[in-house]
Amino acid sequence: MNEGLADFLRGIAATNEWWYIMPEILLAVLALGLLVLELLSPAIRKHVPRVAMGGLGLILALLLMVDCSDCMGANGQSAFGGLLQSNEWSHLMRVFFVFSALMVSYLGGIFLAGRNLAQSEFYHLVILVAAAMMLLVQSNHFVMLFVALEMATVAFYVLVAYRRTSSLSLEAGIKYLILGALSSSILLFGIVLLYGAGGNPALPGASGDSLNFDALESFIALNPDNPVVLTGAMLVLAGICFKIGAVPFQIWVPDVYQGAPNPVTAYLAIASKAAGFMVLLSLLHGPFLALQDFLLPVLVFIAAASILFGNIAAVMQRNLKRLLGLSGIAHAGYLLIGVAASFTIEWVDNAVVFYLITYLLASFVVFLVLSLSGEGDDADLNIERYANFSREQPFLSGALTCGLGSLAGIPPMGGFVAKLLLFVAAFQAGLYGLLGVAVLGVVISVYYYFGWIRALYFNGSSVTALGEASNAPTLQNRFVLCALVVAIVVLGIFPAVVSLV
Amino acid sequence: MADLLFYLFAAITLISALAMVLLPNAVNGAMCMIVSFLGTAALFVLLDAYFLAILQVLVYAGAVMVLFLFIIMLLNVDEEAPRAKPAKLSIFAALSGFTILSVLVVSLFNNPSALPEPPVIEVAENPLGPSAANGIPFTTSAKSFGYSLFTKYMLPFQVTGFLLLAAMVGVIVVSKRMTETTVKTEQSD
Repeated sequence: MNEGLADFLRGIAATNEWWYIMPEILLAVLALGLLVLELLSPAIRKHVPRVAMGGLGLILALLLMVDCSDCMGANGQSAFGGLLQSNEWSHLMRVFFVFSALMVSYLGGIFLAGRNLAQSEFYHLVILVAAAMMLLVQSNHFVMLFVALEMATVAFYVLVAYRRTSSLSLEAGIKYLILGALSSSILLFGIVLLYGAGGNPALPGASGDSLNFDALESFIALNPDNPVVLTGAMLVLAGICFKIGAVPFQIWVPDVYQGAPNPVTAYLAIASKAAGFMVLLSLLHGPFLALQDFLLPVLVFIAAASILFGNIAAVMQRNLKRLLGLSGIAHAGYLLIGVAASFTIEWVDNAVVFYLITYLLASFVVFLVLSLSGEGDDADLNIERYANFSREQPFLSGALTCGLGSLAGIPPMGGFVAKLLLFVAAFQAGLYGLLGVAVLGVVISVYYYFGWIRALYFNGSSVTALGEASNAPTLQNRFVLCALVVAIVVLGIFPAVVSLV
Repeated sequence: MADLLFYLFAAITLISALAMVLLPNAVNGAMCMIVSFLGTAALFVLLDAYFLAILQVLVYAGAVMVLFLFIIMLLNVDEEAPRAKPAKLSIFAALSGFTILSVLVVSLFNNPSALPEPPVIEVAENPLGPSAANGIPFTTSAKSFGYSLFTKYMLPFQVTGFLLLAAMVGVIVVSKRMTETTVKTEQSD
């Protein structure tokens, strides 16, 4: 090996600073530790859920308390030879994903209790997904992006099919596997086209490492009209739109959301969507910045179609998990408004992150109530079964009302401020048509969210009594629900608290 | 000599691939597929791509085919059911395949300069040399893959390890037979 190459390799190896990804490493160690605990003895096995949640809580506390400005890399700092680059949201998104994993583990504890399913593997996979998504939102290189995305997706295939005694869950697993593999291949094909174009020495700005976002950004800035670049960018966008469930790629959403176990549906709706949007933002502000004239109409179209499709399809839907899936498509549409506006408006990234946070809190409230009220098979919960729910379960009904109110965007809740910020951004960016569609979508969504709330309180002529069948929530569950609802209301009144994290 | 070997291995690859499609017995078909993979590996050797050839034998002819054979034997597929008349879709597929093939052949023979002269040598020598802008030089030897994997792509390499672990855990979760004694949790209902 010649000296130049050796020096070069040494220089790259020196940037492999593992200290930067300490939270991810801790999560991976926790996930491995759970598998080891499972092996030790049946007596210890009972404590696996507690160890998982305790470990996640500890990592969350560490993230919140320790000043990580030098251990994680400050804004714009890159590590691992340019594979990872921190941005202003890295830290907040780490907190976001660890908190999601914690809440999903909590829901998982409720879901797994009394079911004849593997226990510690659930927590193992949930924690690995969180670590992969934390790497995903920091990746600055398509190799890292693809590997982290596949890591999360493969674990999700298993989690979706986790309740393997139910044919609905298995069907959802197969559908997610096939369509997920298809979307990964579309994404990979786009990446390969960009790599090929960016490494072509005949074009200006070509580099030997054209998968790096920085190299690609300067290359695309010089060749914004290259058809190979445009095709590649469109294919990458299509692959990501599948992950966030935006409209031309939404067919998997209702079936998978219905069949997957409750905690996994929540995880897919919240963390998977958040990771997709953060990747989209970093791509659009990085490599694809020069393509904004080309991509803006595409994004506007996808956003409008998602809002209309999700809301209109949800109106007729009676199954609650399918309804949440379809309304999730509409929420992806609202978020895409922010993404489309982010080309011209500086502050709209904050609005997108704020929306994701309120969506996280409200969704976990709704899914926690679903988990507590559904006995046995949770895939067949219809709105009708919630008739008169408030008479037996006033506490759960109140929490559910707050969660749905936030999802619909009703004033004292955080969801209202989040939607308002996105709409103001759309107005400032001059996307008036999209704004009109979005307001129409919100009006439609109020109809079906309040249809559910009305069923809770007013529907007198009921035959089923889900309220009687469900146990009263334990003190612990009441506490968690209270904390989430308080957080939603606090975010609605003092949105600025997000900046404290 | 090299030309002769090329035609020999190309013939082996094509004939066994054809046999794989046409043979009614699934196990025989899988065996023919292995021969086809080995022929492709030999073609890679002729192109000086030794590492790719080894991977082709190890991964495709080895691991993937063992998996196929296991599945075929587990499912106990003996004879394929006699084929129905070719559907409209497969006629369409065949037509479009032959169209693409004929366009390729015609354009190759009409314009011989469209073929790059010595494609492999240029890549292997990498005139640019290593630097931050050019990245790690790409050669066909296994060594250069090792350099990249353990320096620049160390983190994705490790993440891939976890990916494989998650896949293994997933196989167990989805397929393990759970008895009542396996899971002794507090039965709430």
